[in-house]
Amino acid sequence: MSFGRFLLKRVLQGVLVVWGVITAVFLLRFITPGNPVDFVAPLDASQELRQQIAAELGLDQPLYIQYFEYLFGLLQGDMGYSYLSGQEASVIVFNRLPATVELAVAATIVAVVLSIPLGVISATRRHQPADYGATTFSLLGISTPNFWLGIMLLLVLSVQFDVFPVGRRGIPFVDAFTLLLQGNVSGMQLWLSHIALPAITLGTYFTALITRLTRSGMLDELGKSYVRAARAKGIPETLVRYRHALRNTLIPVITVVGLQLGTLIGGAVITEQVFNWPGLGLEVIGAVNARDWPILQGSLIVIGIGFVLVNIVVDALYAYLDPRVVD
Amino acid sequence: MTGDNVDRRSFLKLAGGAAATASLAGCAGDGGGEGTDDGTGTGTDGGGGSTMTEGGDETETQTEQAEPETREEYLQRANQVLHDEAPWIFLNRQYSVYGKSNRIEWEARRDERIDAYEITPTEGSDVRITQSQLDSGLDPHDHRETPTDNIVLQSYEGLLSRDAEGNVTEALSNGYERVEDGRVRFMIREGVTFHSGEELTPADVAFSVNRIVQENIGGLVSPQSDQLAGVTSAEVVDGERAVDVVSEGGINPIVFSLFATYCDIVQQQWIEDNDSATINSDMNGTGPFQLDSYDQGVSVSYTRYEDYWREPAPAETLEITNAAESSTRVNQLLGGETDIIVNVPPQDAGRVQNSGDTSLSAVPSTRVIYNAMVYNAEPFDSVQFRQAMNYAIDLPSIIENILSGFADPTGQPTLEGFVGYNSDVGPYEQNVEQAQQLVEESGYSGAEITLHTPVGRYLRDLEIAQAVAGQIDELENVSASVEQREFGQLAEELLDGDISTGPSFYLIGWGNATFDASQTIIPLLTTDGALTSYSNEEVDGLIESAQSMGGSDGGSGGDSNSSGNSSE
Repeated sequence: MSFGRFLLKRVLQGVLVVWGVITAVFLLRFITPGNPVDFVAPLDASQELRQQIAAELGLDQPLYIQYFEYLFGLLQGDMGYSYLSGQEASVIVFNRLPATVELAVAATIVAVVLSIPLGVISATRRHQPADYGATTFSLLGISTPNFWLGIMLLLVLSVQFDVFPVGRRGIPFVDAFTLLLQGNVSGMQLWLSHIALPAITLGTYFTALITRLTRSGMLDELGKSYVRAARAKGIPETLVRYRHALRNTLIPVITVVGLQLGTLIGGAVITEQVFNWPGLGLEVIGAVNARDWPILQGSLIVIGIGFVLVNIVVDALYAYLDPRVVD
Repeated sequence: MTGDNVDRRSFLKLAGGAAATASLAGCAGDGGGEGTDDGTGTGTDGGGGSTMTEGGDETETQTEQAEPETREEYLQRANQVLHDEAPWIFLNRQYSVYGKSNRIEWEARRDERIDAYEITPTEGSDVRITQSQLDSGLDPHDHRETPTDNIVLQSYEGLLSRDAEGNVTEALSNGYERVEDGRVRFMIREGVTFHSGEELTPADVAFSVNRIVQENIGGLVSPQSDQLAGVTSAEVVDGERAVDVVSEGGINPIVFSLFATYCDIVQQQWIEDNDSATINSDMNGTGPFQLDSYDQGVSVSYTRYEDYWREPAPAETLEITNAAESSTRVNQLLGGETDIIVNVPPQDAGRVQNSGDTSLSAVPSTRVIYNAMVYNAEPFDSVQFRQAMNYAIDLPSIIENILSGFADPTGQPTLEGFVGYNSDVGPYEQNVEQAQQLVEESGYSGAEITLHTPVGRYLRDLEIAQAVAGQIDELENVSASVEQREFGQLAEELLDGDISTGPSFYLIGWGNATFDASQTIIPLLTTDGALTSYSNEEVDGLIESAQSMGGSDGGSGGDSNSSGNSSE
């Protein structure tokens, strides 16, 4: 199978998965208790008013009509209108998406920058204090709940020592970057001060995970025969470790990083809640609580599509790096 | 106290047998449970227009109580009957607890609204408010909840308004009167301009009313139509700068109170020229602040409207943001990043109060928290059993230990300060022996009941429910447990129009921003109420009588013409 056919197959599979996500998310509303009208109408509204509002929201239509109308709308980029605000769902979702992507990427950068050196140090100084420190950090990082860490960071670094602002986004990265290009660093400083704690909170688990992965990968590689051969040839240890062993270790690490990025986009809900970060996660929570289905469906579909795209890119990269996968 | 009870008995006798001596065992609001009521009564609550037989305590005299004469007296009597019949476990009046920075001067209002016009910065000229959530769109006629009110009411105003205590005041109307039954007239203030610069006209006012109460005017079915209860239309008065508001079905006793709480005035031309998306993301009102920028779900920014018809607001700029997590709000306040935060949780009250730069502002709100007991479901079809549940509860302990004192106990559906509040009726006091005896008399000894409660919807709702169930469970002849419910699921069961599909015992809260008893009792405790758990012909009759009478037409506090509305 050629690389092109492989990629095409993956894309078609991705389209099927997205359709499945759309259908599952759409059907969710019919098995989830709670009526959106109860959140739009006052609690003491008459049954007549409730019916009028249900009709206005299109909830009085049969299931299949609602489904096909929704699918048809999606093909035209129309996710419907928020039950609560009356705004286009697509506008709300895509307004919130950049904040979440920004946070997920920042968390990934924090994780990669910290975890790979930690993992390498841990592997190369096995059973030494540095190794114990790194493995302890990994254990703590994996075991610490996000919400607790976030609140503690806020309490200590924001409230007690006033080093960082308490939550909120401050300024979008694009605006901060534009200012930077104009020679104004204040925007970037503001962006960094606001994103630092959420990114650390969201990235901590991820950091711990990759540290362990890097450590075990490095230990595995360092025990292989090609490393012994390299050492036997007299290649300096630094080169053996970083040019040969680490490079091979990074292949599965990069795969995990790619896949985790998709997970972070969907999994930033708690961090966004704690830091009041105006992303998709915060929107999802509000939409679930208020049964604002167009917003919820739109958010979940965008997250699903993001995950599928990341998977396709990772698969393609894998196939490119290791052509055996294509066969 | 005995005399008190005699009066209540007498009233019930007069009231037509809807209540009986048995129910009087529950009306020891000011010391109930002591002495004379022990052992009174056996009987069955027959639901609507319950019939009771009196038993025991035959020495009490029965004197007739005077027929109510005014609307307020009818409402007060309804409250007394409801206390005695105990359709709820009467719990607490929730407090609105705000945190504020010391760089502003401001005190909380009783109606849960934050009027930024009342905020005076003592440092700088900007003010920031952090709510738990932001708006559900900026169309002033297309929402129903307080967080949205707090955002749109900085820019929009109504014909009437309220002061911090809830008294009715004039706003865009500078005079109002009843013209005849079913017709009231509002004089429209001159010299008022919208933020677009256009002058306010009576036609704008009539359009605003009609947009709420009539379909297909201004492009929406307003969820507020039921909140202007009884109002059917509005029309400009020829030759006068006035608007007549028409109510079908004769007198609308609470019409002025309704207009003090609802119906923001919009500019007809602006609404007609813009689509829903624009109306929900922009504002063109007459209020003290005009919209500067709107980032949906993130922040709403305003600047002071310099051509405001009153003195311009003390603050030059205003920003309203949100933080759903209470700890985040508190941290933002303590970190100096905001000036006012809503809903300070009891466990954080000390931090806010003791920080040095911040303080608390707490007032009794318009929200009552209660446990409904569905009148026709076993074992709650027995008035003795319902009373027993009230006697089982140590309400002061719940308020002190769970709510840190930020609540008031209640003994009737209507809150103190509302039209129709009955000051003779106090909360039930815990009396475990009496509770157990009443359970025995009810015939439901050994009953197992489950209290359904939402989690996180109201201040410490789960903890309150657990305390209630725990205290009931301590009775020797009743066992109680708690079932946690997601609010949407619970609401769906309660609001489907069929009382039999929902739980028979549940915790819920009710906000009534109109300061009138009718707007709590009608939806929650009359036979046809939208969220009712109770039916009693006597209560229905008393409320019907009250609603057929006009109140005083005064425009200030305790205006019996006002009524209110609901919220969660």
